[in-house]
Amino acid sequence: MNYPVWDIPAGGLLIAVIAILHVFVSHFAVGGGLFLVLVERQARRDGDDALLGYVRQHSRFFILLTLVFGAITGVGIWFTIGLVHPAATSSLINTFVWGWAIEWTFFVTEIAAAMVYYYGWDRLSARVHLAVGWIYFVSAWLSLVIINGILTYMLTPGAWITTRGFWDGFFNETYWPGMFARTFVAIGLAGLYAMWTAAAIRDAGLKARVVRLAAWWVLAAAVSVPLTLAWFLAAASGAGVPVAEIFGARGAGMGSLIAAVFGTTTSGYPVAQRAAFWLVLSAIALVAATLRAVHRGGRLGRPLAALMLALGLVAMGGGEFIREDLRKPYVIGRYMFVSGVRLPDPPGVATPPDTHVRAFGRDRFTIDALNAGGVLAASVWVRPVPDSMIAPAHYAEKAAHQGRELFRTLCAACHTIDGYLAIRPLVRGKSVEAIDGMLGRLAMPVDASGAPVAWNAPALQLKTWRGRRMAPFVGTAEERRLLAAHLAIVGGASPAAVAAPEASAGTGQKYYDANCAACHAPDAMAPFDNDGLDAAALYLQIGKLPAINEMMPAFEGTEAERRALAEYLASLPRPSKKGGAK
Amino acid sequence: MIPPIPQPDPVPLPAPAWLLWVLLLLTFYLHLIPMNLVLGGSILGAIARVRARRGDRPHDAALAHLVVKAMPVLISAAVSMGVAALLFLQVLYGRLFFPSAIVMGWWWLAVIGLLILAYYGAYLLALREHSLGGVGTLLAWVIAAVVGLIALIYGNNMTMMLKPQELVSRYLSDGGGVQLNLLDPTLFPRHLHMLLGAIAVSGLAVAVVGVGRRHRDPAFGDWAVKYGAIVCGLATSVNMFAGLWWIAALPRDVLVQFMRGGMGIVGVLLAGIVLTIASAAHLMLAAGGRKPGVNVGASAGSMLAGLAMMLGTRDAVRSASLGVAGFQPVAWTAPQWGPIVIFFVLLVAAVATVWWMVRALVKAA
Repeated sequence: MNYPVWDIPAGGLLIAVIAILHVFVSHFAVGGGLFLVLVERQARRDGDDALLGYVRQHSRFFILLTLVFGAITGVGIWFTIGLVHPAATSSLINTFVWGWAIEWTFFVTEIAAAMVYYYGWDRLSARVHLAVGWIYFVSAWLSLVIINGILTYMLTPGAWITTRGFWDGFFNETYWPGMFARTFVAIGLAGLYAMWTAAAIRDAGLKARVVRLAAWWVLAAAVSVPLTLAWFLAAASGAGVPVAEIFGARGAGMGSLIAAVFGTTTSGYPVAQRAAFWLVLSAIALVAATLRAVHRGGRLGRPLAALMLALGLVAMGGGEFIREDLRKPYVIGRYMFVSGVRLPDPPGVATPPDTHVRAFGRDRFTIDALNAGGVLAASVWVRPVPDSMIAPAHYAEKAAHQGRELFRTLCAACHTIDGYLAIRPLVRGKSVEAIDGMLGRLAMPVDASGAPVAWNAPALQLKTWRGRRMAPFVGTAEERRLLAAHLAIVGGASPAAVAAPEASAGTGQKYYDANCAACHAPDAMAPFDNDGLDAAALYLQIGKLPAINEMMPAFEGTEAERRALAEYLASLPRPSKKGGAK
Repeated sequence: MIPPIPQPDPVPLPAPAWLLWVLLLLTFYLHLIPMNLVLGGSILGAIARVRARRGDRPHDAALAHLVVKAMPVLISAAVSMGVAALLFLQVLYGRLFFPSAIVMGWWWLAVIGLLILAYYGAYLLALREHSLGGVGTLLAWVIAAVVGLIALIYGNNMTMMLKPQELVSRYLSDGGGVQLNLLDPTLFPRHLHMLLGAIAVSGLAVAVVGVGRRHRDPAFGDWAVKYGAIVCGLATSVNMFAGLWWIAALPRDVLVQFMRGGMGIVGVLLAGIVLTIASAAHLMLAAGGRKPGVNVGASAGSMLAGLAMMLGTRDAVRSASLGVAGFQPVAWTAPQWGPIVIFFVLLVAAVATVWWMVRALVKAA
């Protein structure tokens, strides 16, 4: 939009893959530093040369993994988010450049300390070597402390939304639980990786001792991480993140994660629920595997250690997916959607000076500005419609062309056509009107009581279509129709069906197509069945839709539309097989 | 008509633009030194490794050994300094940098994979230097090639971002992120200039090491000073032509805009040329046996000053290109003084801490 969209399928998934691999190593870089220095101290204090030899070996593994893969994939995340979410990256950098600069001072110290620690085994005195180890750990942990502020800001930006203050965004509602959770995860990973290097020890006695030691680190995390995670979820919920809704649970906290594991597909956000399922399952399996490792002691082999690492990776991936899904459809909470569209500034936010506005114009990329002026007119990164498609007779071609541009601009940050979060199954067999209607209600701004508010309301919450955490459609009505037409074609509609608006359809059918058909068309998830009711009975039913099924929104049309809809529904033939929605 | 350059974020710059600019140049300069040593050093190391395969060249073997041992640390330093430079670049020029990176997305992302490959390769060489044999030599060349490729990819991004209008048409023709800027007439002279400069700096570094080792190993010390001088002198000589080629390849309007900087910027360019020639000349004197310690020191000082001048010239060319492209810097600022002060305090603390640790390691050695 303001920036080009990298035209690849599932850019978000690319970020996820790199990010999960990175955090799995970068948290080890923190916890592993503490492990090294504490175990070295213990070995030196006890005059335990065997244990000291193990720490030395472990430090080599540690350096090779964290300094190379850990550090470079960290840069890799930065590269990737710049490619996939340039608007968000630009915004984050403008807001937190000094946060990153501060983090850089820790990063440089951390890298230098790691090298001096590794190369200093035979050169430095024990006291200096340990001091360097502590410098490493403290700077690595402080690096986490800083990055956590930026990551949690993205979920819960706190008072920054109205003040735009650095510290208001940094010390946000989920900052402290996030910091503790990541610290404890780092401790657990230190134990997990220690299991891996312990598996290579030949001395069975030493191996058993290291395994027991490492197990304490894993088990300490097994106790502390769920507690801090519950704290994190409760804090996020308190900050307005719909944790309970996303997990399909009654409340936030640890219970919501458990509810997600046992949840059904009719409530909650499926991606987050699946992530929660894998997180909980792998965490439980990891604890069991740790106990098994302790039981095996000096006989711990690489397969079990590798399995533990794999389980740790899955758990970490689940946790990161959940964090991302809690944030959706925002990329920066209550500030910017994943599509790069911004919410308008709330009252009180500093406005740019006139000189700035004269030089660059007014912000073209807020919801309000884009709804008024259109997406296609605001962005230089969309292909203009060819002249040959402008005539009404070529509407289908124009829709396919411009709709594709709109899809790439507004939807492709999350969706693919047939792959990850595929769109085709969602629109298969649906009419333009049905999709158009669905697009119109993807997300709405409401207050805590559910009443509609303006997009710049400071405490706005997002009511999303069937709780699916979708960003709102942004653009003009014509653009919405173009996108709907494109999606209808993707879903199998013929160009003729797209090109021919149903002018002859009555009010009832039009309302049905726009508002009901997405779920209740004959080939949709819940085909409509009037059960033989007449128009009068159906009229009454229309007045209490949420009471019939809580997933259905209340009827929002006029009185005339309600009567027309009732008559239209009564006229529909009953489906040939049972199981339709009544 | 929508301008091709993205709109700035609707937030003020978090610091005065001059401060961000100074930090960009400073951190890039700090990146430039280890980056030159990685780029040029990997080539010199690979050559030394090939030459050392003949058993009667112990100095080449010693040089290859030095490069192998230093390379992981140098890559680490180059990356550590590079991230800060990239951070400040994105604050000031993100509106051009991001679109350019997206147009060449896969190439840009490939930097990460290539860097991991080169970095692990360097560690593999350092840890298995002698056991790898011929594979080690091949690996040394692979590392040099990969590092050179990373430099070329960076050069593509840094040159492509200077042409916003072209970026739009490129993106609209293919947004898949597979394009490079290979047809830009400035790309290859620029790359060649950087490459030769890196070799010259690395030659100087070999001479510096030679001076440092003269007392412990006089034969190697003298050889390293001479070898470094020859490498630096040759690379600098050829680089004069590469630099002229680069200037000649600049678009005329950019060159005019550059010259509008007045005598100041022309003086910086000339000072850069003179200082690098002086650096090579001092090295030649050292190689001839005339006060090697003093001359190598003077050469290093001239080179460091010359690099700073070249950096200034490069920045002036960028400013000229952006001026031609219609890029307007953001003037709306709201400095975050609290975080800025904390940053500078921590920066001093970090430098002191790193200094203490490295000193302890060197003293212990």
